[in-house]
Amino acid sequence: MEKIIEIVFSGFYTGAIYALIALGFVLIFKSTGILNFAQGELCMIGAFICYNFATLFNWPYLLSFMTAVAIGVLVGVLIDILIFRRMVGEPIYSTIMMTIGLASILTSVTGLIWGHDFFSIRSPFMGRTTALAGMVFSRAALWTLGVSIVLFALFILFFRKARLGVALRGTAEDADAAGLMGINVKKMHMVAWALGSFVAVVAGIFLAEQSFVYSGMRHTGIKAMSAAILGGLDSIGGAIIGGFVVGIVESFAASYLSGLEIGSFHFGDVKDVIAFAIMIVVLMIRPYGIFGKEKVERV
Amino acid sequence: MLKITNLETTYKDVILALRGISLQVPSSKIVTLLGANGAGKTTTINTVSGIRKSLELKIEDGTIEFNGEIINEKEPSEVVSRGILQVPEGRRVFAELTVEENLIIGSYSLSNKRKFVQNMDTVVGYFPILKERRRQPAGYLSGGEQQMLVIGRALMAEPKLIMMDEPSLGLAPILVREIFRIIKRINAAEDVAILLVEQNASVALSIAHYGYVLENGRIVMDGPSEVLRQDRDIREFYLGLTEVGTKKSFREVKHYKRRKRWLS
Repeated sequence: MEKIIEIVFSGFYTGAIYALIALGFVLIFKSTGILNFAQGELCMIGAFICYNFATLFNWPYLLSFMTAVAIGVLVGVLIDILIFRRMVGEPIYSTIMMTIGLASILTSVTGLIWGHDFFSIRSPFMGRTTALAGMVFSRAALWTLGVSIVLFALFILFFRKARLGVALRGTAEDADAAGLMGINVKKMHMVAWALGSFVAVVAGIFLAEQSFVYSGMRHTGIKAMSAAILGGLDSIGGAIIGGFVVGIVESFAASYLSGLEIGSFHFGDVKDVIAFAIMIVVLMIRPYGIFGKEKVERV
Repeated sequence: MLKITNLETTYKDVILALRGISLQVPSSKIVTLLGANGAGKTTTINTVSGIRKSLELKIEDGTIEFNGEIINEKEPSEVVSRGILQVPEGRRVFAELTVEENLIIGSYSLSNKRKFVQNMDTVVGYFPILKERRRQPAGYLSGGEQQMLVIGRALMAEPKLIMMDEPSLGLAPILVREIFRIIKRINAAEDVAILLVEQNASVALSIAHYGYVLENGRIVMDGPSEVLRQDRDIREFYLGLTEVGTKKSFREVKHYKRRKRWLS
């Protein structure tokens, strides 16, 4: 029983990070129609910036966190203004190619500035634990889960109640009609990029807490994309739930499937494969995801 | 108030959709723009609204003036902030948003957020059904209710001019009459000018003060609606009436086609 709880908890921990990244995918895709393959790179940049302030400059952790988030949002806004503002309405393959190009630019720039090594963010949670009901949880995990759940609640409230949130949803549904209602569509796209990179940076810092700050952490972005696809690329709630599902499934796979031997067949590290397996299955049987809207084309 | 002079608009850089049209909408009047499919009615109001980029429209010549200011190059949101609202064709409600959220988006251009409640009361006064359906997704409303919602959504912005694109499209005749009655009431009570784009000439001319007839991107005729209603060509081609004024019976349709007197 305790093992199960442990597995579920660690699944939620990783899942929260996936959910944050997936939320970024959905926010940007829904509002601007651009599937941003550079989402993982935004996480990575966020983690590196936080590392820069917390470890290299010795700033307090929270201050570094906030600064990294602020800079990350700025990067997102700049990406929109400099690149994707001009690409709205272009075919999806050209925008996807541009995000892939952007991804490699971001990776190279990060390598140039900080080098291709493993670093860690100096944080008050490092290696510390809290005992709860006879079990031991890492502080970093509790902090990650707490902050993400608050963020999810705030996002859902924002999209239901705030005028800006409602305007964003309207723009996502019909940009021309939103423009006719006096909504500045360009500004909405900018807000979407800002929010998308905001969650990416937060996820990146949490991810660094779980392992290291290194350029390979960008690959988590693609795993989170499978979470977004599972939930439905146009559903905010779906992204969150998809993220947690992928995290939990991965966690179970890591404990029960990894290293398993059936006959002469040896399962290696199944953990890293399972997210993609989920993505492939979802794309085959329900390409619009669990909560996504099925596109009905009338001819 | 709205003054369009010699407006020429191209579509996709090669098709001349508007060939130099001029029209005026005086304040608090209803002006109707009649014409068949492809005449350029929707292009006219989309050009005014400024959604040119996504529709690949381009102004080649002429000016659009609103209260003395030239608004040729304005973005859609800037046009709205000057008080020109469009009710787009085909009831483009935000289907996934609730009725109330649709109205919130309608009031988005207002800087004073407290006006929302007040304007909502006005809208609900005209369309009581919207209050009942407040929490329902707009996509689940009937066609007539959606038409009411898009008109209400435009009213939320306290417009000075509403440009309505075929509010009668796809509605039952009884609903068309009801909606046009409400449009007339809105025009009188809210002191808002209305540019009414229509194919249904008889119902449009019944509430409009002035009318323009658009064919192939040119204005071929204009005048007060009483005059237009009496015009022989309008009666024949737009109202479907014969000389005597009775409904045309297709049994007596002559074998030759009466030519239009204007050159288009």
